[in-house]
Amino acid sequence: MRRVPLAWLNLLHEKTRLLIAITGVAFAALLIFMNLGFRGALIQTTTMVYGQLNAEIILMSPRTLQISATTPFPRERLYQAAGIEGVERVMPLYVSYLLWRNPETRISRAMFTYGVNPQDPIFLMPELQSPEATKQLERPNTVLIDIRSRPEFGPQTIGLETEAGRRRVEIGGQYSLGGGFAADGTLIMSDQNFRRFFSPRTLETVDLGLIKLASGTDAQRIAQAMQARLPADILVLTKEEAIAHDRTYWLQTTSIGFIFGMGVVVSFVVGTMIVYQILFTDIRQHLPEYATLKAMGYRNPYLFRLVLQEAFLLALMGYVPGLIIALGLYQLTVKATAGSLPVSMSWERAVFVLSLTVTMCGVSGLISVRKAIAADPADVFR
Amino acid sequence: MYLEGEGDAMTKPGNRFFAPENPLSNSLAPIKDELAVQIQHLNFAFGKGDLCKQVLFDISLNLPKGQIVILTGPSGSGKTTLISLIGALRTVREGSLRVMGQELADMRNADRVRVRQSIGFIFQSHNLFESLTARQNVEMAVELLGRFKSKRDQAEVILTQLGLADRMDHKPQALSGGQKQRVAIARALVNHPPLILADEPTAALDKQTSREVVTLMQTLTREQNCTVLMVTHDNRILDVADRIINLVDGQLESDTNPDAFINSHTYKNSKHDDAKMFIM
Ligand SMILES: Nc1ncnc2c1ncn2[C@@H]1O[C@H](COP(=O)(O)OP(=O)(O)O)[C@@H](O)[C@H]1O
Ligand SMILES: [Mg+2]
Repeated sequence: MRRVPLAWLNLLHEKTRLLIAITGVAFAALLIFMNLGFRGALIQTTTMVYGQLNAEIILMSPRTLQISATTPFPRERLYQAAGIEGVERVMPLYVSYLLWRNPETRISRAMFTYGVNPQDPIFLMPELQSPEATKQLERPNTVLIDIRSRPEFGPQTIGLETEAGRRRVEIGGQYSLGGGFAADGTLIMSDQNFRRFFSPRTLETVDLGLIKLASGTDAQRIAQAMQARLPADILVLTKEEAIAHDRTYWLQTTSIGFIFGMGVVVSFVVGTMIVYQILFTDIRQHLPEYATLKAMGYRNPYLFRLVLQEAFLLALMGYVPGLIIALGLYQLTVKATAGSLPVSMSWERAVFVLSLTVTMCGVSGLISVRKAIAADPADVFR
Repeated sequence: MYLEGEGDAMTKPGNRFFAPENPLSNSLAPIKDELAVQIQHLNFAFGKGDLCKQVLFDISLNLPKGQIVILTGPSGSGKTTLISLIGALRTVREGSLRVMGQELADMRNADRVRVRQSIGFIFQSHNLFESLTARQNVEMAVELLGRFKSKRDQAEVILTQLGLADRMDHKPQALSGGQKQRVAIARALVNHPPLILADEPTAALDKQTSREVVTLMQTLTREQNCTVLMVTHDNRILDVADRIINLVDGQLESDTNPDAFINSHTYKNSKHDDAKMFIM
């Protein structure tokens, strides 16, 4: 026969308080989930484009912060890199923001624009692999539009004409990429159009240099060789390093990473305080009983376990609804942002938040348990 | 479960009862094995230095096994302090205090906890867990000794003996004051401790319930040959005692049988009415 489950029964005894406690823990867990979710989505969206780039090595200026905040460098460097063994192809990529007018509301918003040589297989998106896409790219004043651009940019119908950067522009095709936190929408256009739209910018300086390697080569090793060969005004990164470079920028240099990190910390502290309050009240109310247990001959470790068990049970009971609501809100976020904010649950995050929730309750348990330990058995006789 | 007596104890038959004519004498002290509690020259003070307040003065007292003893005296005279010392709830620093043969003076806390496991405590307030049923509250005491297999039966037997057979699965909220106190008594008795300490167990009960509760306690402890030390102001229940000890200002004032006690106090306090006489 097992022990009387005193921790469990104590919690169940006061239904209202239990409900408040569960709500508090669930809320804290939910807040942590949302913060981590946004943070994860931010990292994912800002680096998502790299996954669609058909290159193993990326050249950029050392002053480039991330893909949407670049400092152009001379195109000359690309040709220098092309001479290195193992390099199959070098491709310039131009990026900039273009004011796109919604033809229905006549309100202009900034679109993130990629300029490419139509002959370069820069993107991996299936929509761009067709000859039709290349043909459309080659037409003057014609762009391809990202169907994951926010609806505020207006209709994305092929053939639609509107104004961008004070020029007439026609939608020649569609693709699906997503702009992440940095861009509400994206366009792809030819380098020639890019030159027109962003005049007086020329094609002599590029924002990113994409390097396609011959199959069976070691990107890491070639990148090192390239860095050694090129002048110091160029940063040579493998694709993984470029992703890490952008991620570091977002998480460490902008306030965004800090804000979400702070959000997690604040949720943790608030959760700890709520659980502490609940456990402390519970202990205070049961102090005569705890003193009685000690008078009867129960030892401190028993009380210690009892309080920690209560804390652990609260953690589990609060975590589950927190997780379920978080899953719902994640879906809602994806829907509300038309997929441009891909908040999604991972096992790692679910386990991480569970451990944070347990720690949160454990810490409150450890703080409040002192009160139970301090119960003087002599106080039972008054 | 019973604590071991000291190995060197002799088995000379002694007076089972304290000589009433000479209550404060220790010369006729029976040998240790016959005694549940043996107190010699016990002093106790709260606080230290300037704030030091002595509460018990040179108490010497023996409680033979199986005796039901009532401890009475004015409020603040040190009754609670005395039984919390006997109950190993406070540290004895001056004098000697043996419970079931174990010297409590300067005993380590861990050892005191072990001594407490062989004592049944009954308090003025029942101190039952509101979240547990009567049965579970009693089982908590059995679990302390690790008897998980028999705990249910033990709890049921004792609760039935206390007339709570149909109340076992009720929580304290659903029980009357008398029933709650009976559950508390069941919890104290379920392990058959050799010593029961009770501090005003009937203070919160009405006259009739007090009587019932005390009679049950008397019957069960007699069956178990258990020593009982009970603090009470309730003069209606004095007759259950074998012996009445009166404590005044931290000193033993008298130690007699109930009849003698009532007579002497009625005589002394003839001008006062009965209800007042023990409360003072
Ligand atoms: N924890 C304590 N600290 C200091 N003084 C105490 C404490 N407990 C009791 N006393 C004092 O000790 C004296 C005896 O108290 P107590 O043993 O409770 O008496 P009784 O139970 O006979 O009413 C009283 O004067 C009381 O104020
Ligand atoms: Mg008292």
